[in-house]
Amino acid sequence: MNSGCSKTLLAVLLFLTFSAASSRAQMASSHDADTAAIKQFVANFADSWNSHDAHGVAMHYVEDGDFSSIKAEASHGRKELEDHYTTIFTTFLKNAHTTDTVRSIRFLAPDLASVDIDWLVTEPSAPGGVLRKGLLTWMLSKRNGQWMIVIYHEQSF
Amino acid sequence: MISSRLKMGLAIALFFAFSSVLAWAQMASKMDADSAAIKQCVAAWEDAWNRHDAHATAAAYVEDGEFSSTTGVPSHGSKELEAHYNEIFTTFLKDAHRTDTVRSIRFLTPEIASVDIDWQMTGARTRDGKDAPNRKGLLTWVVTKQRSGQWMITIYHESAF
Repeated sequence: MNSGCSKTLLAVLLFLTFSAASSRAQMASSHDADTAAIKQFVANFADSWNSHDAHGVAMHYVEDGDFSSIKAEASHGRKELEDHYTTIFTTFLKNAHTTDTVRSIRFLAPDLASVDIDWLVTEPSAPGGVLRKGLLTWMLSKRNGQWMIVIYHEQSF
Repeated sequence: MISSRLKMGLAIALFFAFSSVLAWAQMASKMDADSAAIKQCVAAWEDAWNRHDAHATAAAYVEDGEFSSTTGVPSHGSKELEAHYNEIFTTFLKDAHRTDTVRSIRFLTPEIASVDIDWQMTGARTRDGKDAPNRKGLLTWVVTKQRSGQWMITIYHESAF
C-alpha cells in the first residue's frame, strides 16, 4: 500500500515535471518561431521600401497604424501612410535604399512585441552616400497569425 | 397581447442599449483614469529627473526596464539604469532641466500603453564642460500597469531633433 502510494506520487511528480518542461519548451519554440517570423517581416518591409512601393509598405501596418518621422511628424491610418510613402518615394528618397537589421525583440505579450532595428539609408547624392543612420523602434501586433506594425518610430543620429 | 409582447421587446431592447452604453462609459472612464495615472507617472519621473535623483529616476522603471539613448546606447535593469542616471547627473547634465509634455497615449492592452512625450532641455553641457545648445525631441515609452495600479516604464526610447 505504502509502496504503491509512493509509486503513484512519483508518477504524478514525474508527469508534472514533464508537463512543465514541455510547456516551457513549447513556449520557447513558439517564441523562436515568432522571432523568425518578425525578422522575415522586417526583411519584407525593407524589400517593399526598396521597391519604392508605397502601397506595399503601407500594407505592413494595421489599418489604424501610427507612423512618426525623425522630426516626430505623424501619419495615421493606411490612407495617410500610403500618401506619406508616395510623397517620400517620389521626392527626396526616390533614389534611396534602406538596410534594416533587427537588433532586439522584446515580447510584451504573446501577440505583442517591441522591436529595435538598426537602420541605414543610402542615397547616391548624400555626403559619403549615407543619408540616414539610426534606430527604428516598432510595436508589432500579431493579427490572424501575421505580425504587423501598430506603431512606427524612427530616430536618426 | 401583441401590445404587451411589444412592450416586453421594447423593454429588452432598452435594457441592452442601456447596458452597452453603461459598459462603454465604464471602459471610457477606466481609460480616462489610466490616462491620468500615466500622465502622473510621466510628471513624477520628470520631477525626479529635475531633482537629479538617480535612484528615484530609475525607480520609475520596472525591474528589468530598458533605456535607449538618443544615439541608441542601451541600459538594462534597475542597477544599470541607476548607474546611467548617476553618471549623467554628475557630468554633462548636472545643471540641466527638462520639460516633458505628453503628446499621445495609445493603449495596446488595458495594461500596456505606448506614450509619446515632447521633451525640451536647457542647461546641458558638452562633454568638455561648455554650454550646449538647448535640446528637444520625442520620448517614446512603453508603460505597463502594475498590480498596485501604478504605471511604470518598461521600455524607454528618446530621439533628439
